[in-house]
Amino acid sequence: MRAPDHRVALHALLVLADGRLPVGGHVHSAGVEAALRDGRLADLDALADFVVGRLHTTALAEAAIVAATVRHLVEVAGPPVDVLGMLDGEAGARLPVPALRVASQRLGRQLARVAGRCWPDPVLGALGDVHPDGCHQPVALGAVAFVVGADATEAAMLSLHHSAQTPVQAALKLGGLDPFGLAAFVAGLAPTIAELANLAAHYAAGPLADLPADTGLLVEIDAVAHDRRTDCLFAT
Amino acid sequence: MGWNHDHNHDHDDADQPLREGRALRVGVGGPVGTGKTELVSCLCRALAADVGLAVVTNDIFTTEDAAILQRKDVLPAERIVPVQTGCCPHTAIRDDISENLDAIEQLERRFHPELVILESGGDNLTATFSRALVDLQIFVIDVAGGDKVPRKGGPGITTSDLLLVNKTDLAPLVGADLEVMRRDADAGRDDRPTLFVSLREDPLATPVVVWVRDALAAHRRPATAA
Repeated sequence: MRAPDHRVALHALLVLADGRLPVGGHVHSAGVEAALRDGRLADLDALADFVVGRLHTTALAEAAIVAATVRHLVEVAGPPVDVLGMLDGEAGARLPVPALRVASQRLGRQLARVAGRCWPDPVLGALGDVHPDGCHQPVALGAVAFVVGADATEAAMLSLHHSAQTPVQAALKLGGLDPFGLAAFVAGLAPTIAELANLAAHYAAGPLADLPADTGLLVEIDAVAHDRRTDCLFAT
Repeated sequence: MGWNHDHNHDHDDADQPLREGRALRVGVGGPVGTGKTELVSCLCRALAADVGLAVVTNDIFTTEDAAILQRKDVLPAERIVPVQTGCCPHTAIRDDISENLDAIEQLERRFHPELVILESGGDNLTATFSRALVDLQIFVIDVAGGDKVPRKGGPGITTSDLLLVNKTDLAPLVGADLEVMRRDADAGRDDRPTLFVSLREDPLATPVVVWVRDALAAHRRPATAA
């Protein structure tokens, strides 16, 4: 059941954008812990470069999957499990690092759990039928966005917002950076996030196989090394 | 509020398919260095022979607690899972339990344990577990922190199902009065039990094991009408 009133959908998006929603995100640093350990995030400028780089690469790829999930769920006539399965395959193909693949599935499961309680819907139930370990996070987020009545661009924007806030909040805890400076940085990302959300929706309108697969090689190498350590505060 | 309280609860719904017949989940919380890992190790040693067990640890910044338990060989290593808490040990057991719930459910699917022990990262006196994560919680404090700790209270001390005061052997050395601790603990806990132990002198944590076995027996009994 899709929410008919756009303000109802807006409220759901506010709930989904709120860091207090229990989706397990607080245990992830999106590579910030590893980069800080290497001395690559010494100040706010360095963190800003890291986040903007992330937004244009892995975050755009994820946002495009999120937007594509909304688009295909809007268009699908039959049971959603097949289309969710195809999208999940595309998401997994863009996650070559095993630790990141496991983390993405875990975050997908955790989002599906809380969203299933907030907005019960057969589409969210179908997320658990795609794969025994659950759908990847961008597919789960796209499915939730569809269920609450958001469109593909709004869903991509939500994804990009979390892609920015996850490393920023981890840097706040790990690096002792100025919280007001970080807040101003995130607020200033608005044009970038709006532009990338439109781009994600544009990709989502095309064939699944043509969705972007941009990534950061150093981030991926770091993720492997991070996973092998035993002295980490964050899971990724 | 006992361990039977939520068998007929309205949140026992379809999104928690393992709830029926699932393991008893016991949380162990308390400040840093009070003996949480030692208690978990004692419980494993005392119970592993006849109770299907699994453990989730929430180390603050290492997998040290999980490694200690694995080194002590109290349980097969694959039954001990560490999870990271992103600088927020209390968030992981209370505000956003997703990561711990996920770890517990994976262990339950894999090993079908009767008892899952969840050890929190060391935190302060306000740390408590969500009732959606554990059925029962043990809060561990120690004598070395001073005999005023029970009087200071906080949800860990006043609401835990079992308050454990460890390191009683140190009382004369730090000038702590155990009677004062007992009186203050009892005053804030509405008849919920408080136990005094020295895990160094009693490495099987005898009174705690009795309490856990009673809880397990109650958990195994079919739920009666609330």
